[in-house]
Amino acid sequence: MEIFETPLPGVGVRYEFTAEGGDHVGVIVRRDGKRDIALYDRLDPDSCKGTVELSESDAGKVAELLGGTQITARLDELKHTVEGLAIEWITMPESGGLTGKRIADGQIRTHTSASVVAVIRGERAIPGPEPSFTFETGDTVLIMGSDDAVDRARAILTG
Amino acid sequence: MAGWGAPFPGTFLPLRGVPDAVVGSAHSDAAAVLIQLGLVFLVLAVLGRVAARIGIPSVPLYLLAGLLMGAGGFIPVSAGEEFLEVGAQIGVVLLLLLLGLEYTPEDLKVGLRTTWKAGIVDAIANGGPGFAMGLILGWGVTAALLLAGVTYISSSGIVARLLDDFDRLANRETPTVLSLLVMEDIVMALYLPLMAVLLVGASVAQGAIAAAIAIGVVATALFISFRFSNHVSRLVQSHSRELLLLGVLGLAFLVAGLAEAVQVSAAVGAFLLGLTLSGQVADQVRALLPPLRDVFGGIFFVFFGIAIDPRDLVPVAIPALILAVITAVTKVGTGAWAARRVGVGPKGQWRAGLSLVPRGEFSIVIAGLGVAAGTNAQLGALAAAYVLMLAVSGSLLMRYANQLPVPRMLTARDPGRGTPY
Repeated sequence: MEIFETPLPGVGVRYEFTAEGGDHVGVIVRRDGKRDIALYDRLDPDSCKGTVELSESDAGKVAELLGGTQITARLDELKHTVEGLAIEWITMPESGGLTGKRIADGQIRTHTSASVVAVIRGERAIPGPEPSFTFETGDTVLIMGSDDAVDRARAILTG
Repeated sequence: MAGWGAPFPGTFLPLRGVPDAVVGSAHSDAAAVLIQLGLVFLVLAVLGRVAARIGIPSVPLYLLAGLLMGAGGFIPVSAGEEFLEVGAQIGVVLLLLLLGLEYTPEDLKVGLRTTWKAGIVDAIANGGPGFAMGLILGWGVTAALLLAGVTYISSSGIVARLLDDFDRLANRETPTVLSLLVMEDIVMALYLPLMAVLLVGASVAQGAIAAAIAIGVVATALFISFRFSNHVSRLVQSHSRELLLLGVLGLAFLVAGLAEAVQVSAAVGAFLLGLTLSGQVADQVRALLPPLRDVFGGIFFVFFGIAIDPRDLVPVAIPALILAVITAVTKVGTGAWAARRVGVGPKGQWRAGLSLVPRGEFSIVIAGLGVAAGTNAQLGALAAAYVLMLAVSGSLLMRYANQLPVPRMLTARDPGRGTPY
């Protein structure tokens, strides 16, 4: 995506780009920090169908919303390491690994010394699941242990 | 504002040893001044509301109020006139100071580089008719040149505000409109000191020398503003808004006064100072000063109107109307031409042209220069009538630009742009 920058003397800077869908979008960054988002008219490409004026904090929130998917994606990858202690979120695959099997079947603790701390299924969190707990596709499994142990546990869980 | 509770001397302090009559008259004078100023401000406040309600700029209404006050008007303003006169001066300084603050030196550089051609076309197409009309009316070259300035300069105050109000800031033609306004303001920085010199009535040779000095001063000031911007800004910087305001106003009045003293005109001094201030100070002042500018700017327009007898408007009405029609057309032409040069489509060209029609505060500033110097008795009245017409009709043209049919001329000669973008 190519972004064009045009100075607006006395106002600020205008950035514009064409979205993949063909919509022509402009963003004005004003000197006082306010932002305007404008959608250009396809029939009269020089004018706008509408503009939205955002305060600086509005703009911050919208940016968060727009960037949201990327942030979750990055969170999925995120690994907190606190002096030898690793915590990782692992999403269960559609098939293979331990999907459809019980925690006890994987013998994760025995083989890797990492432990399954919690499972998140949809909106529900299941802290400290029983050994008889059965994994389903899409479950997010929180495991904890040493770096090495977590890596090996991931291999067992996802196959 | 703690600490300001002390009574003002002369009004509340007992004046011992002063004859009763003197105290009495001073007292009633102060009362008359305050009452008249109060009425003037209240009239402005009501008119400002009316203007906002019906969606036109307040400048023409303030002018109208001034016309109805004072000489030949319905409301006599005599006691407050001295204050209004000083207030009007302050108004001009603040108008120009904030205009300078609107632009960074970078804006000016870009503006000069990209729009100097359009700026020249603009000056000839719109200053020309004013100059010609001045000569036709038999005013002499200096007054005609002033009228050229009046018809040349669009109101950046009105235009910038309306572009925002009508949500057109993101439009493709808007950078063109804004850079033309910048160009006009640059031209004004050179035009005002030149006129100041001519108004002193110097001979051609003296005038040329003085003009060279004026341009030298402006150039030096510009150099300083590009180069030492940070130092000047640091001079007035303060975390206290009160101290910042005092510093900036002090510096502004000082620079404006010095500029006036060397005949560069106070307005240009204030404009250059505005350009010089930058960074955080500029941001703070931009947030702090506009209400003050609007109050004193209002006083300036009222004062300009007060000095004009409404009966003087009658003989200049026809020339003003002719001039308004001609320069509205030439302004539309200039704007459309400039927008076309950067590839804006016919509708955008039409909007760009119409957006430049409003004339306002700076036309009055220029005319005020001539009135103060006593060049021509009709100049003030003609400028007032002209600005009244174009400030109102220009704003309306701008508002309904999308509904007005695009003239055949713009669509016919459109250099076939294939895709919309």
